[in-house]
Amino acid sequence: MNRRIIDGALRIVPAAVAIVGLCGLYEGYRRMGIATDDQWPVIGGDLPVKTNAITMPALSDIVARFFEPQQRRSGTTVLEAVLQGSWYTLRISLAGFVMGALIGMALAIVMLRSKLLEKGILPWIIVSQTIPLLALAPVIVTWGNRIELVDWQPWMSVSLIATYLTFFPVAVNGLRGLQSPPNHSIELMDSYAATRRQTLLKVRLPGAVPFLVPALKLAAAASIIGSIVGEISIGLSGGVGRLILAYAQQAQTDPPKMYCAIIGAGLLGLLFTSAVGSLERLMPGSRHRSEMSL
Amino acid sequence: MTGSRFSDRAATILVPLVFGAVFLGVWEWLVRAFDIKQFLLPSPSSIYTAVGDNWGRIWNGVEVTGGNAVYGLVVGSILAVFASLIASRWGWFSDIVTPIASGMVAVPIVSLAPVFNIWFGSTDPFSRRLVVIVVVFFPVFFNVTKGLTQVDAVHVELMRSQAASQWSVIRRVRIPNALPFLMSALRLASSLAIISAIVAEYFGGTQGSLGQLITQSAGLSRYDTAWAAVLGASAVGIAMFVAVAALEWVAMPWRRQSTGH
Repeated sequence: MNRRIIDGALRIVPAAVAIVGLCGLYEGYRRMGIATDDQWPVIGGDLPVKTNAITMPALSDIVARFFEPQQRRSGTTVLEAVLQGSWYTLRISLAGFVMGALIGMALAIVMLRSKLLEKGILPWIIVSQTIPLLALAPVIVTWGNRIELVDWQPWMSVSLIATYLTFFPVAVNGLRGLQSPPNHSIELMDSYAATRRQTLLKVRLPGAVPFLVPALKLAAAASIIGSIVGEISIGLSGGVGRLILAYAQQAQTDPPKMYCAIIGAGLLGLLFTSAVGSLERLMPGSRHRSEMSL
Repeated sequence: MTGSRFSDRAATILVPLVFGAVFLGVWEWLVRAFDIKQFLLPSPSSIYTAVGDNWGRIWNGVEVTGGNAVYGLVVGSILAVFASLIASRWGWFSDIVTPIASGMVAVPIVSLAPVFNIWFGSTDPFSRRLVVIVVVFFPVFFNVTKGLTQVDAVHVELMRSQAASQWSVIRRVRIPNALPFLMSALRLASSLAIISAIVAEYFGGTQGSLGQLITQSAGLSRYDTAWAAVLGASAVGIAMFVAVAALEWVAMPWRRQSTGH
């Protein structure tokens, strides 16, 4: 137990060094540019990015901006606005993630059933990912006002985009995982006269877990990315994606604010993905896997 | 034997084509039979007509947006492969960069587009190309590093026992081991590249790009044109995917046999 805590702590060290390094690089470049008037030291020549308060606000300003009000006469601070936006985006992503995971798993089970279906569907699932549905976001949002059958909310369009990005890794890895148990295990179940459903539940699904966990992690990251991008292209307000766009439009007068929203979006992606990754420990057969992982 | 292999190969091509044709047919039929409005889902035939009517604009968009995507894919992958080679050689570098890389895969990098627009100017295509480069870099780096480091210990020991140099271990053991990892990363990266190239355009910038054509057409309720532009983007995505598959065929001849599976 103690060892695990020490191991965990040791694993954080390089990540911390990395973050400090990135911040140092940004701040160092900025100060160098200010000192040398946007020239490379010694060799001369223009720096690729100009360093002034608009292009590169100081890190301390970005951090301080979190705790100042959003607008001049606004009651909420930037931190509160970013947290609220992230929470909204997280819920949209979660809806898309769950839908996508279910659709992906259903497709995997359908393709498992028949070789013909696998041959017919799998290439199209792969092709589907080269179709940038995100690009259709501006079209999908117009569904909102005009579908009478269901009460279509604009956030559902965003969730739909997240779903589209989510189902793919689950379907592809899920199928590979369901096919992973060795033949003799399947034959053993057959010899017990087990039904297909029993074989699926008792042999194939547990066998698929090590394939599903990384797929779900990928899907979690994709669902956050999908909803943020969806919010931006649709213009759905309330989420952190829209906040980035809104703050970006004020970047000429208030540069640090945009960075606050981007940092918030990044942390949201990291947290959701690692939360889904930690599901791994709850799943059966996880011990085997966690020994294998780095 | 040869006959069955031939019919196997024919089936891998024919079956998806038949499924695709059936899918298009059902789509067309649904739109006509239930009189689905164009804003919801235009029929394949009306999208096809829109492609013909707007050929010039779509082709122009494919050149602008596809150019950015291909540029970013190529530059990003090359940078990532170099970084992986360094990471596999010097452990401390990999210790520091790998957590960033695994974290960045979970981060919506396209949200950096407005930052790059401010840094390099929104009219400079490099702002959007840099988004693609960063998006492509991390999955490629992550996978290739895995391929370079997770080699069979026996192979490395054998090379050592033959007094092989570090460089020749890299060339004869690590790089061949990493190739399949590189190829699957490139396949993922090729679809990420076109998506991020389009999304970066939503933050403003160039005229005549696919992203602009899509938003403008949707704004003007020309939905068949918007879908036609998306089709153009898909064509770019599929072309890059096919290019990666061709690269795989050339770079890994020992894999060609196993396509039947």
